[in-house]
Amino acid sequence: MNVVREDHGTAVLLVVDGQVDMHTSPELRRHLRGALEQQSSPLVADLAGVSFIDSSGLATLIEALQGVARYGGKLRLVGLAPAVKNLFQLSNLTSIFDIRESRAEALEP
Amino acid sequence: MTSNNSDVVEVALPSDPKYLPLVRALVEQSAEVAGFSADECQRIALGVTEGITNVMRHGYGGCTHRRIDLLLHAPTGTFRIDIRDYGRFVDPDRIRSRPLEAVRPGGLGVHLMKATMDSVEYKRNDHGGTTLTLIKHMAATPPTARPLRGEGEGEGQ
Repeated sequence: MNVVREDHGTAVLLVVDGQVDMHTSPELRRHLRGALEQQSSPLVADLAGVSFIDSSGLATLIEALQGVARYGGKLRLVGLAPAVKNLFQLSNLTSIFDIRESRAEALEP
Repeated sequence: MTSNNSDVVEVALPSDPKYLPLVRALVEQSAEVAGFSADECQRIALGVTEGITNVMRHGYGGCTHRRIDLLLHAPTGTFRIDIRDYGRFVDPDRIRSRPLEAVRPGGLGVHLMKATMDSVEYKRNDHGGTTLTLIKHMAATPPTARPLRGEGEGEGQ
């Protein structure tokens, strides 16, 4: 898994690539926490390059969602592949997360 | 990797999460050979990942150099995997899934195992640990519609 961070003013975009599981989710968590410590908003995770995500990855994203809520920020997800979107549906999380269709839309204030 | 017969493949791996992609590749290939679709193979790989992650996290408490045995049996139309550990027996009630409406980071793994597999069974094994058996059957193909009888075909024939 690889994570690339882009700063867009107060917004932060994390472009995630590869497989997110128990092995790699700590690295994703590290990037998310870095953005949370700066109270970035919106914090956008682009998951278009994610071919696999499990409950460890979902837990990491839920942690980030709770983190932004503490300072009134926004976490947005974009680029969910069908298999990843299916996992969110299986976990009843599609209504919990703010899932956007495009990166530009997700980065709007 | 060993094989006792042509249908069962046995793999032993360390309890290190870095091997999870390797397991998923093996599982997806096995399920594909058994005839499952690409989507089904991915779902099976997810269920197996959750099962092995539970062993690493709960059975071995995060220790990365314990042994996990995988026994794969994937004849046409069925995928079965036994995940055997040598830790302590984990009471399934301790790792039951959380209610989905309670949004918090943990507790989704068991739910995803049950959502992706047809059968999830925990048993204490002869080594004092747990054997988790996951089974998935291929969805039955709807029977071909029988052609309507044409005129002149008598009911009594």
